Amino acid sequence: MEKDDIVLETKGLKKTFVTNKGKTQVEAVKGINLKVNKGKIFGFLGPNGAGKTTSLSMLTTLLVPTGGDATVVGFDLLKEPEKIREYIGYVSQSGGVDMSANAEDNLILQARLHGASGDVAKKRASELIKQFELSEFAERKTTSYSGGQKRRLDLALGMVHRPKLIFLDEPTTGLDPQSRAHFWEEIRRVKTAGVTIFLTTHYLDEADNLCDYLAIIDQGTIVAEGSSTQLKRQIGRESIIIGFKDMKDLEQAKSLLGKQSYILKLRSEENKLHLYVKDGEKLLVDVLHLLDNHAVEMHSIELAKPSLDDVFLEKTGRSLREEGS
Amino acid sequence: MKLVYDTHILLSRNLKKRFGEKIWFFLGMLQPALYLLLYMPLLKNVGNTSALPLERITQIFVPGMLIIMGISSLFVGFSFIPEIREGFITRLLVTPISRAAILLSFIITQVVVLFLQVIILLFIAFLLGLRSSFEAAFLSLILVALIGITMSSLSYTISIITRSEDALASIVNTLYLPIMLLSGIMLPISLAPDWLKSAARFNPFYYAVEASRALFLENYSAPVIAEGFGIMLLFAVISVWLVVKALRNMTS
Repeated sequence: MEKDDIVLETKGLKKTFVTNKGKTQVEAVKGINLKVNKGKIFGFLGPNGAGKTTSLSMLTTLLVPTGGDATVVGFDLLKEPEKIREYIGYVSQSGGVDMSANAEDNLILQARLHGASGDVAKKRASELIKQFELSEFAERKTTSYSGGQKRRLDLALGMVHRPKLIFLDEPTTGLDPQSRAHFWEEIRRVKTAGVTIFLTTHYLDEADNLCDYLAIIDQGTIVAEGSSTQLKRQIGRESIIIGFKDMKDLEQAKSLLGKQSYILKLRSEENKLHLYVKDGEKLLVDVLHLLDNHAVEMHSIELAKPSLDDVFLEKTGRSLREEGS
Repeated sequence: MKLVYDTHILLSRNLKKRFGEKIWFFLGMLQPALYLLLYMPLLKNVGNTSALPLERITQIFVPGMLIIMGISSLFVGFSFIPEIREGFITRLLVTPISRAAILLSFIITQVVVLFLQVIILLFIAFLLGLRSSFEAAFLSLILVALIGITMSSLSYTISIITRSEDALASIVNTLYLPIMLLSGIMLPISLAPDWLKSAARFNPFYYAVEASRALFLENYSAPVIAEGFGIMLLFAVISVWLVVKALRNMTS
């Protein structure tokens, strides 16, 4: 029974690129094990260059793995890639819209490539135009679409053949906040229709709000996995963030607090000091007293629950936020 | 057959795109005619042969023009590279249609466009006084198709490997001039010094031009015809093999 619930499973999936005429080897993905449950939104979180797109390319049959095994929608990745293509949808980072045609023609072509006859393809296209609210611009050339409109068409194209599993590579990169929120809604609606979603992202809020289950990848290795809540609970600590106006005060606070045993870790970022502690709410008072007694002037203070960035920091020693991107 | 069906779906999409760009398509179709109208009169007094009759010039020049049109298939990559960049080609690769159908449809698209251009050119040449048999025109069409297959496959190969219009532009420019000069299309090779004549022997398209001219002169027993077809067929096979390999490397 359990087997039916798993739409994707990898064992030691690996990709090594050989460049420079065989002289150098780049291990883009170093043997990953994944399990994706049916009907969930699975998030693959990691910084740029972590191996997300390479993994996705392998799972969508675009790239042949150098090692390991995988089963996608019940078929062996290495032996039956043609079968897999019938049941998966794929929306790449660049989308894949035919820029010489309008939305309707794009959808019809995609349906026909999946074996639908002319009439069926046309019907399916108009269904999707309605479902993804494309009707306003469906007959206009795609070159005139806004970022959000194009993204909705990308998603519709991935859904044409009613896939069991859809892969979305960085689905909201480059969208403005409003379009992002709208697009998240679209993704949730796809999930409600019973489709499993596998997406990659480097946005913490996207991983936090949208995904049911996360795998965090860094330098080709999975460093943590679980639901967002589980991952944060694993960290088991909160942070007190104190802001200072004067850097002298910050330095003084740093040396004072560094001696306290209840502080697990201390980190300064610009004019702020991050203290990692077990029981933040109680310790907040102690910290305030201590600094006040030594006449250290504070500008602001806040208590933060652990974030996914803290999880990433804990596992890799780096902050995902600092990576920028 | 699934391959034929899949190829046909993509082929109609590709043709719709080519014909959809109305102005550009029209200009593209007009180009060979411009060559005929503007360039051919210059050939009148070339070399020592003074004042050839126009009909004789068309018999020499039009076969060369057909080969030029075939060679121009090198340019197809310029519309293919954006399709790679926009992810359209990748999108095709994740659908159940075969790789063979994808490549075939893109190559055949160019051959269809070439056929149209050749027919227009022959019609204008006919108005200018070219007289030839149906067989000669038909066989030349096949020869042009072979060149179209070769050059479009090469162009797609370069596009897949470099993914850069800049790279494609410099490669096409570098290839274009020696191929044209050493094929005796624009100027007769008989005017060239000996070393250039020997160099022309290494240009496969020289044989294609010679074959096409022999066809239009209805000199069917000339050995250059078999040579021209043989060499072009060989090059077509090699370049299709190259593009198949390039597409396969894209996914490894």
